[in-house]
Amino acid sequence: MQLGAARVFERWAAGWARRRQGADTHAVELKRRRIYVLPTRFGLVFAAMVLAMLLGSLNYGASLGFMLTFLLASLGFVAVHHCHNNLLGAEIKFLGAAPVFAGERAEFRIAVSNSSAIPRLEIELKRGDHTAGPTDVGPGATETLRLGLPTERRGSAILERFRVETRYPARVFRAWTWVHMDARCLVYPRPAAPGRPLPLAAADGATGFHHAGDEDFAGLRPASSGDPPQRIAWKAYARNDVLLLKEFSGGTQEPCMLDWDMLPDLDAEERLSQLTRWCIDADAGGRSLGLKLPGNVIPLGAGPKHLAACLEALALFGLPR
Amino acid sequence: MTSAVAQRGLELPLEVRRLLWTAAIVVGASLPHWATLAAWMPVLLVAAVAYRLTTAVRHWPLPPRALRIAVALAAFFAVLFEYRTLNGAQAGSALLVVMVALKFVEARGQRDELVLVMLCYFLIFASALTERGPLWAAYVVVLIWLTTVAMLNIGRRGEFLPHRTAALTSGRLLLHALPLAVALFVLFPRLPGPLWAMPGSTSSGATGLSETMSPGDITNLGLSDEIAFRVEFDGRPPRADALYWRGPSLTNFNGRTWSMLQGTRRGGRVADSTEYRGEPTTYRVMLDPNGRNWAFALDMAARWSDDNTLRMGSDYQLGTFFGAPRSRRIEYTVTSYVDYSAREPLTPNEIEMFRRLPGDSNPRARALAQSWLVDDPSGAAIIARAMDYLRSQPFFYTLTPPALGAQPVDEFLFETREGFCEHYASAMTVLLRAAGLPARVVMGYQGGELNGFGGYYIVRQSDAHAWTEVWLEDEGWVRVDAVAAVAPERVALGSTRYRSDRGFIASTMLSNTWLRQAMLAWDTINTRWQAWVIGYGPELQRALLDRLGFGGLRRAQRSAVLLGLAAAATVFFLAGLSGYLAWRKRRHTDIDRAAACFAKFTRRLARLRVRQRAAGEGPGAYAEHAATALPHVAAEIRAVVDLYLRARYEPDADGAALAALETQVAAFRPAQA
Repeated sequence: MQLGAARVFERWAAGWARRRQGADTHAVELKRRRIYVLPTRFGLVFAAMVLAMLLGSLNYGASLGFMLTFLLASLGFVAVHHCHNNLLGAEIKFLGAAPVFAGERAEFRIAVSNSSAIPRLEIELKRGDHTAGPTDVGPGATETLRLGLPTERRGSAILERFRVETRYPARVFRAWTWVHMDARCLVYPRPAAPGRPLPLAAADGATGFHHAGDEDFAGLRPASSGDPPQRIAWKAYARNDVLLLKEFSGGTQEPCMLDWDMLPDLDAEERLSQLTRWCIDADAGGRSLGLKLPGNVIPLGAGPKHLAACLEALALFGLPR
Repeated sequence: MTSAVAQRGLELPLEVRRLLWTAAIVVGASLPHWATLAAWMPVLLVAAVAYRLTTAVRHWPLPPRALRIAVALAAFFAVLFEYRTLNGAQAGSALLVVMVALKFVEARGQRDELVLVMLCYFLIFASALTERGPLWAAYVVVLIWLTTVAMLNIGRRGEFLPHRTAALTSGRLLLHALPLAVALFVLFPRLPGPLWAMPGSTSSGATGLSETMSPGDITNLGLSDEIAFRVEFDGRPPRADALYWRGPSLTNFNGRTWSMLQGTRRGGRVADSTEYRGEPTTYRVMLDPNGRNWAFALDMAARWSDDNTLRMGSDYQLGTFFGAPRSRRIEYTVTSYVDYSAREPLTPNEIEMFRRLPGDSNPRARALAQSWLVDDPSGAAIIARAMDYLRSQPFFYTLTPPALGAQPVDEFLFETREGFCEHYASAMTVLLRAAGLPARVVMGYQGGELNGFGGYYIVRQSDAHAWTEVWLEDEGWVRVDAVAAVAPERVALGSTRYRSDRGFIASTMLSNTWLRQAMLAWDTINTRWQAWVIGYGPELQRALLDRLGFGGLRRAQRSAVLLGLAAAATVFFLAGLSGYLAWRKRRHTDIDRAAACFAKFTRRLARLRVRQRAAGEGPGAYAEHAATALPHVAAEIRAVVDLYLRARYEPDADGAALAALETQVAAFRPAQA
């Protein structure tokens, strides 16, 4: 929980840093000039304690009190450098983000690399209240963190800015840097609730009504993420360790050409949601699929890549590119 | 298999392990206080820790809030009842220990545990307010190290660091902090006095000499080896039999008990009338706290350092006569002359006062002294007769004299004839007074033990002594030590040698020379610690500044210079640390090692007149060129290049190729073709 004022201040400070250091590419090495260090709340309490000890030592003229006071104060000072050093030279790289449906969490995969000879401990990524990590990055190692961001609307979720932060070693100081990189995550429209049946209009020249079923086995193709697990060829997997997907004859299943104009009763966003739902259903049913949007026509096709292309078209429909 | 199971058994939940660390720190930080706490407090602390750990392992709920508040209030009032105050270091640390115990019971989560660790810093600090030895400091350093390990682990979200990493990391932090801490300790300006009035001294019993003396009451003088003060002489110390460390004088006598005069007898400086002769002796006294404001100096002190508000009283005794009794060690420098005449002019009233004896006390002693007046009434003659009497009659020096009755001086002089310094000093003073001479008893210490390791003298409580001072018209105050008549070795050898020679010391510890040497060595360490660490203050800082060329500054200027130096030291050390950290972190991967190794190889080839590797020339092509130039080692060159390519560009998880490359290059020392 951050206070409102603190959040406003952070936004202002981050804007200042953005103007100072410019936008980042998808891979940045953290340089000295962009790493900021400030005490944490725990650090302020620690400082107050050391100050109280200093006053007490002065008052009692207690040499050993001074000794302890200065040892703790020096530990604090040294912690600043260790904290700063923990970030200095680390490399931050945006690896990508898998598309999600609106309402889901977009997960930006960000790699923290350590090319130095000593480990970097407890590195965190932060965006507002959302945190990834902390993670320890060994010498020469790279760790991937997933920074989650809730999505509401279709389009591109932009991770406009995030913080790379560490409070290691003593938790009395926080070293951080703001990274401004063009990290985007494609957000598909939120699928409408199931209900409306798939419009199985023949694409060109009705070939007649076929029994909609999954019985007509057509062959196997390599499986990829997003395929329904019930159609994985598990027996084939057991034989030769390759995940294959059972394909069913497209001929027996009606192709599905979805059209923007099929849904005159809905407004634009609702239409996109419904089309999204149908795309998913059609793909799950193993049908080939086409999409006709104003100004953008995707011909019939099948497979996850094709589905992704359809969904992307829906996601970006009408948005400035 | 079994070991894996056992390990899993030991693998406690993270929360429990955090609590265990916190418990260790809490108990460790409170340990230096245990000796001064009421017995129930450590018990409460240990019980609280044990209870909380049990609840964590058994997943019991916390006790209800109302109960916790009730217990906290009860504990608070128990501390108040125990100390009658919450002010002062002792009651304060007691309250802190109790608070820590209660907080531990409800410690839940990382934040609480970090707060507890912070409270522990305060506990350690509270124990630093009383004077502690070097062992304490070593303990605290270890404790701070452990606390840092605990902080590293407790604050972590997720698994603990491996033990080795945590221990090394916090050790490194501490090591990096140490130089700066020492610099700040030395340079941060100290104040000569407190900022605000301190709560009343917590030191309870006064130790050492007492304010009165009644020799007839003591039948067994327990001699403590406790140290009264230490003395470091500038140059040669005086003879052992001149080492009379003067303490308070006792003037009032009621027939049995000697006591001090109340109030100050006169203003002005008695020292002004003293004539000093011979060589001055300058020395530094490190006086342990004795609960009084007495200070001790060799007879007769001429000059002394003006810090510590040291003054000379009307009976020539040095003391810190202003302020509360001392509960801390002080140090002062005195210059004395063992050869002197203290020609204090006494008024007739004062002469009367120093001759006063209670009318009905000790009649036989008085009769004896008056009988000497007939032959020669001069002071010197009387003293000689008295000393003669003690020497000629069978007197014994003993620490276990018989008890004396209503006329203690009579009984001692004519019946028991056994006693220690107090008996002799008392009897001698009574005899001299009875003969009409103004006299008094002076208490102090005589002798001292030379610590060969540290080159200083240790004066212990067992060196306590009492002697007589008599005032003669033309010589002033003259010391008469009756013990010198009876047991001259006591004065010549000092009490320790004397007692061990005479078998007074039953304890083997003191007579065992090896152990005694070890104890002296340890005392040296302690003394240096006291002088340089605990005693480090404005005076030593001033000396340091003088040495650095900042002499002759006023106090405010000195403070400013010191603050400036402290700031400079901080910047210097932190910049150094920053550079060191960057150096330590430099890229140092296996790939770089392989490249460095190959570079060494090409340098070696260059020495054999093989041309340098051209820019953009691959290692393979270069190797072929080198192999042609040096056909007798062509096979070795190709082997090195092959290993280099493997180490540099192929996965080399176990570093085998790199290791082979390094061996091969090290062995590559061909002769010129």
